[in-house]
Amino acid sequence: MTRLVPTALIILTASAATADETRQLDAHEHGVGQLNIAFDGDQIAMELHAPGADIVGFEYTAESAEDRGLVDAAVATLARPLDLFALPAAAGCSVVQASASLESEEANDEHGHEDHAEHEEEGDDHAEHDHEDEHHAEEDGHTEFHAEYLLNCANPAQATLIDFAYFDAFPNALELEVQVITDRGATAFEVERDAPVLDLRDMF
Amino acid sequence: MMLRLCLGSLMARALTVAMTIVAIALSVALFLGVEKVRTGAKASFADTISGTDLIVGARSGSVQLLLYSVFRIGNATNNLTWASYQDIAARPEVDWIVPISLGDSHRQFRVMGTSTAFFERYKYRAGQSLAVEKGAIMDDLFDTVIGADVAATLSYAVGDPIVVAHGLASFVEHEDQPFRVSGILEKTGTPVDRTVIVSLEAIEAIHVDWQSGAKIPGQSTPADVIRQMELEPIAVTAALVGVKSRLQVFGLQRAINEYPQEPLLAILPGVALQELWQIVGIAETALIAVSAMVVVTALIGMMATIFSSLNERRREMAIFRAMGARPRVILSLLVLEAALMAALGAVIGLALLYAGLFVAQPLVDATFGLWLPIEPPSLREFWVLLGVVAAGAIVSLVPAFRAYRMSLADGMMVRI
Repeated sequence: MTRLVPTALIILTASAATADETRQLDAHEHGVGQLNIAFDGDQIAMELHAPGADIVGFEYTAESAEDRGLVDAAVATLARPLDLFALPAAAGCSVVQASASLESEEANDEHGHEDHAEHEEEGDDHAEHDHEDEHHAEEDGHTEFHAEYLLNCANPAQATLIDFAYFDAFPNALELEVQVITDRGATAFEVERDAPVLDLRDMF
Repeated sequence: MMLRLCLGSLMARALTVAMTIVAIALSVALFLGVEKVRTGAKASFADTISGTDLIVGARSGSVQLLLYSVFRIGNATNNLTWASYQDIAARPEVDWIVPISLGDSHRQFRVMGTSTAFFERYKYRAGQSLAVEKGAIMDDLFDTVIGADVAATLSYAVGDPIVVAHGLASFVEHEDQPFRVSGILEKTGTPVDRTVIVSLEAIEAIHVDWQSGAKIPGQSTPADVIRQMELEPIAVTAALVGVKSRLQVFGLQRAINEYPQEPLLAILPGVALQELWQIVGIAETALIAVSAMVVVTALIGMMATIFSSLNERRREMAIFRAMGARPRVILSLLVLEAALMAALGAVIGLALLYAGLFVAQPLVDATFGLWLPIEPPSLREFWVLLGVVAAGAIVSLVPAFRAYRMSLADGMMVRI
């Protein structure tokens, strides 16, 4: 028993040396974004997370004027939720608050690289994104667009069909994983480019 | 006229016809039964938790977290440390939080440590609360509240002492600290029925004289001393969280998922359940396909018996024709016979299903905790039955066409 103690100590100190930072990175899949929708009273809160590749087609830091223009235009588009996720007119919704921004993940070179290797094995998720040509992406890690909306609706129970014009606005986006919370609980949906409509009739 | 002829003809061959009908009835009962079990299982899973916005546990899979925290299926990969638990509890979005600590057992039942808030916050079947049938909710450290199935299986009454075992399948029992049954819950049809509920402090208390999973020999702390001790848990298994406003659920979920000090996972129970259905979906489809194939097999069996009966009935058919019956009368006679057999089979199958449900309902409930509701047949089932009859008629067209073509020439010839 006593002989074990020094070994244990060494292991402890060894791990302490490397464990002073926590390393974790979110999953990131090109073509797939996340949309959360919460209905509460006459308010609807929405949150969108989408990979930079889906929105602007690249994930390196925009340095050229052209790239920066693309990012600015995308942020402006993302700030108009009702143009992206069209609600039925009967619901009478108006935007109370909308914000959109570009977030880059703070990953170092090595990490970004590893992450990409995994991605490549996943196969066709990367159909729209060629890594051979875009060395920048590997250096800068992934970027994600993030938008939050708050809507006020006269009749939120009428918001049963949401038309995802999002896919028209962003040709690289293939799928949105949607989580919805209403009085009747939470459910998940997948809305794909081929069928860009979300039917929430069962949720009210 | 035609119907009477049909019935007469079926009665004449009562034994073969009866066997065919039994085969169809059994297959229909199986098909509908599989459907009942499938929808029953789904409904009972979906009814198990309601009113909880988020379930928080160690980072693993959302389905896994849901299964071990709510359904007591499988085990946690890691625990949720008490410090993180308190961090989450202190967040402004959190309306209420209920800890869950699993890992010990009593006989075949799991022991769950929690706070008394569990009894107010845990909701099942669209917002129904837990109710105490006998006794009261625990107020002493060594009080337990047991589920209806625990009480029924082990025939416990309020006031009985019980001993909790360490781990899930071990023989080492925490004999020093016997518990007392303080209350028995009403039957809920959820895993709570099969759970022994103790306070979170009690889980710590029974491990006071234990170290690294083994009991320290000769050491035993009296219950009164333990009652005086500060029994703060180091970790819990999971936590149920209610959020003040639904609009904040996703924000809190993200904050917990990105919690830097500990890898945690927060799930929306409904969404995790949805994921579970996606996994189970393939097996479900396979099950439906297999039982549908059984129906098809029974119908093909019927076709075979009609074929073989054609041989015996050559003379009969020829006489019909000789008496002026058109070939299509022969055809419709055979199709009608088949449809009648299929219809009888379908009706008897439905009757078998309900008889089976009456017998199996309590058994299935006791063994698997699955409540199969006995309800009048749904529209869907009605369509299934109609489909069986239609399929029976269609299948019989094959032998009927043969009879249609052969009836006259065949029957009039005398073969030696």
